[in-house]
Amino acid sequence: MSAFLTYLLNGLAVGCAIALIASGLVVIHRVTGVVNFAQGTFAVVAGLCVSSLLGLGLPHGVSELAAVAVAALAGLLAGVAAVGRRGTTPLSSLIVTLGVGVLAYAVEIVLWGDQPRSAPGLAGSLSLAGARIQTQHLLVIAVTAATFALLALFFGRTYLGKALTACASNPYAARVVGIDVRRMGLLAFALGGLLGGLAGVLVTPLRPISFDTDVTLIVNGFAAAVFGALTRPVVTLVGALLLGVAETMAAGYGYGSHQLEVALGLMIVVMIVQASRRSALSQEVT
Amino acid sequence: MIGRVAVLAVAAVTLALPAVLDDSSLAVYVLLGLAAMVTVGVSLLMGYAGQVSLGQGAFYAIGAYTAALLALGGAPPLVGLVAAPVAAAVSAMVIGTPLLRLRGHHLAFATLAVQLILLSVTGQLEFTGGDIGLQGIPQFGVGSWEASGAAAYAYLTWAGLALVILVTRNVIASRPGRALRALATSETAAASSGIPVGRYKLVVFTLSAAFAGLAGGIYCFYTGYVAPGSFPVLISIQYIVMAVVGGLGTVWGALVGAGAITLLVQGLDSLATLPGMPSYAPSVLSYAVYAVVLIGMVLFMPQGLVPAVSSRLSGKKRREPSYR
Amino acid sequence: MIDVQDLVVSYGTATALEHVTLTVAAGEMVALLGPNGAGKSTLANTLAGLITPAAGTVAIGGRLALIPEGRQLFPDLTVADNLALGGWRSGRRDPSPVYDLLPRLAELAGRRAGVLSGGEQQMVAFGRAMMSDPDALVVDELSLGLAPNVTAGLAAHLTELNRERGLTVLLIEQNARLAFDLCHRAYVLESGRLVTEGACADLADDPRVAGAYLGGAIT
Repeated sequence: MSAFLTYLLNGLAVGCAIALIASGLVVIHRVTGVVNFAQGTFAVVAGLCVSSLLGLGLPHGVSELAAVAVAALAGLLAGVAAVGRRGTTPLSSLIVTLGVGVLAYAVEIVLWGDQPRSAPGLAGSLSLAGARIQTQHLLVIAVTAATFALLALFFGRTYLGKALTACASNPYAARVVGIDVRRMGLLAFALGGLLGGLAGVLVTPLRPISFDTDVTLIVNGFAAAVFGALTRPVVTLVGALLLGVAETMAAGYGYGSHQLEVALGLMIVVMIVQASRRSALSQEVT
Repeated sequence: MIGRVAVLAVAAVTLALPAVLDDSSLAVYVLLGLAAMVTVGVSLLMGYAGQVSLGQGAFYAIGAYTAALLALGGAPPLVGLVAAPVAAAVSAMVIGTPLLRLRGHHLAFATLAVQLILLSVTGQLEFTGGDIGLQGIPQFGVGSWEASGAAAYAYLTWAGLALVILVTRNVIASRPGRALRALATSETAAASSGIPVGRYKLVVFTLSAAFAGLAGGIYCFYTGYVAPGSFPVLISIQYIVMAVVGGLGTVWGALVGAGAITLLVQGLDSLATLPGMPSYAPSVLSYAVYAVVLIGMVLFMPQGLVPAVSSRLSGKKRREPSYR
Repeated sequence: MIDVQDLVVSYGTATALEHVTLTVAAGEMVALLGPNGAGKSTLANTLAGLITPAAGTVAIGGRLALIPEGRQLFPDLTVADNLALGGWRSGRRDPSPVYDLLPRLAELAGRRAGVLSGGEQQMVAFGRAMMSDPDALVVDELSLGLAPNVTAGLAAHLTELNRERGLTVLLIEQNARLAFDLCHRAYVLESGRLVTEGACADLADDPRVAGAYLGGAIT
């Protein structure tokens, strides 16, 4: 029973990290219609940055914040490439973000080499009803909860957040009232970079990160975001937590070698079900 | 007329080349030809069905493993080589039936997922040799003749590519091929004019997989071993780069794209392995080339090299392709 | 207030507007008539700065707001949020002046715009445009798809704003009857060219205009 609880709590932490990646995907997709393949890259950049900064002797807190800021800047740059040019279609933009991810490989290998790097996080662990959970896992859960609450406040309560939602809701109308939709797209990319960076600095102490970790991160993030049809943050969070728990349980009970297949297979099934439901709906309309 | 002469000239020159190239140039020749085979399929899929596959490497791998397993099991190499595209095509048909309900970024991620699943599974199964893969694959041969030496594989590659080109040209020129052109412009319009969109998409998907499978089959005999590490996700991205560079939906575009990128990366590779260069230089340079070329082409020359040049020559402005 | 000189707009190789010259003086209320595809909405979007002209000039002597064809609200946002975003340019966030003008909107404030009726949506679009505190208003198809009594209500508000606050109005309409009721001057646009212009009273007597836009029967 305590093993189950341990796996559950660890799984929630893993799911939270996925949720942060996925939330960045959702923010960018909602505002620009683009699926950002470089979303995992932001986490990798932040993770590698934080390992270097801590290695240089900078204190915790400062290092993490700086790494997240670098990731946000990387997000902005990815946005400039992906949506900065007028008339780029969403699928062209996806291919551009693919290119951005590969470009990041080159930069990352030059700066950090191709070996995995780690960073110290919160040490120690706590006992909770007989289950042991690492303090870093608790930190991941707490930061994710706070981030989602802040995101909900930002999009639901602030004027800028509503303007971002407006761009997603009706881009033409957004231009009619004078909102610069492209600039909002860049802002969304920067925000996406920030969220990805947050995931990166939280995960790096748990599992070492290398330049090509981005594929696992983006695929998991996309799988979670697909639950929420790439637009709904709360459903995405639920999807990510389910994914994290399922993967951790599978690993914990000895099916660890198949956790990726389970997650990816689930993602494909969800997409196909959604697609057939969509086509059924559109047939009813016509 | 000029076009036919040019085709014959290119065919003759490329057929004559293996006789004069040294072994390291022959390696580039073979890799270029194999990449071109896969890229023709990717270009067909992107240009005609308007869909992006991020998992074309999966079908390359299926072809390679099929041929390797059969050859190691004692089947004649020719059987393995024929089975490679068939196995890839059958898998594409099975996978594609549910998968092609998806479009755009959903299909892109689904195909990527298929490749990741395949790599993970082959890395764990015993009969595929796990992460180490399969080694000691016999040389290709027919009857008593055995392909010994790189030139033989260069001829094999040439023949494979010629077959791929012939099939593709016939498909493009056929009635369904012309209907596919409508599919690339607007799926809704094509569907409303009675074109069986779903079936045609599946045909293109299957065909592109068969091309990749054939290339994989030749690859396994040429290198003598296959492993999951031979088919990273990046290889699928590389085919997209080649297709986009040359120009989508054209056979020549795929050939030019595969040729340009292969030669560029090879050239930089020999630069990067010069004494004094850091050990990471080759991979960094090839990543940088893929990325810069891909981003630059999509943003600034979305129609690709071949259509851009030919439209400049003929003075006509072509419709830019749209990735949907 | 609105001064368009020799305007040319093209989409790729297709020309949508050819050498259009049109003026609306401050405080004037002018109609622009024309069939579907004449280029009316292209002109509206160009006036709003959403389309860059290929040639010619557009001069606006103040702040211009557009009520686009088909309302074009933010369906996922509430009425209050739709209105607030209308103030993006002017910096005005508080919709209460618009509630004074259109009290019905205050009752709808918390509803999602996407679930409202056509008339209510047009009222929100109207209110959202007024949030930018405009000097000139371009109304693209006020009456389209609305019941006559709903259109009449909105038209009354428009007339009131024009008379009492001096709001300049360019009314783009297919419904010539409504346009002639509200405006004293009109332009007629066909296939991207202005074919005629003049006082509404004269145009109503013009057999071509009457035939095409008033169904032949002049009242």
